[in-house]
Amino acid sequence: MSAAIGFSLSHLQAMLLFALVISIAFGFLSRRQPVERVKYIVWSLFLFLLIGVGIGWAMYPFSR
Amino acid sequence: MTDEAAAPEAPQADSKREAFALLIVVAGWIVPGLGHALLKMWGRALACFLTVGLLVFFGAGMRGNVFTSNANDAFETLGYLADLGAGTFYFVARALETNGPDVSRADGDYGTRFLAAAGVLNLLAALHAYEAARGRKA
Repeated sequence: MSAAIGFSLSHLQAMLLFALVISIAFGFLSRRQPVERVKYIVWSLFLFLLIGVGIGWAMYPFSR
Repeated sequence: MTDEAAAPEAPQADSKREAFALLIVVAGWIVPGLGHALLKMWGRALACFLTVGLLVFFGAGMRGNVFTSNANDAFETLGYLADLGAGTFYFVARALETNGPDVSRADGDYGTRFLAAAGVLNLLAALHAYEAARGRKA
């Protein structure tokens, strides 16, 4: 098999993708009902992004 | 008297259930989602398969580091163990990444994390299936 795939994602895109995939997995593993799963996924995704962007801004003063 | 007569069967049933749970956890580790599929938890099985598969696909596509058993330090050993958690998808990642890793760019570094996360996520899912098979939670 040859390496036919190749991606170049920005920092934000990579974070969004990671947060979305992990949130979906957590939602399905920890909740049974579809509505509960959707709520969990949305809340988890929101927290991932909030904390990720928050840590990004917190590191900004030390980045140069 | 009835309780005493039934008592010897209970440990046997427990050991059967434990053996089945061990089969589930090994199946779930080897093929992401298979543990849940054997328990007829189709939604979770599909979710595990797709999420672990996506992380491996993007991780390899971003040319993340797929660690091998030839580790030079403890971090590489940890990375190898995390990557191995993806089961057969570890070999898929290696097959997809014929050009080797490129961690000189941020993409490659993120790809390394994606691959490790895929392995750890699959281990978490396999343990979840194990607990479900033992009847502890689902």
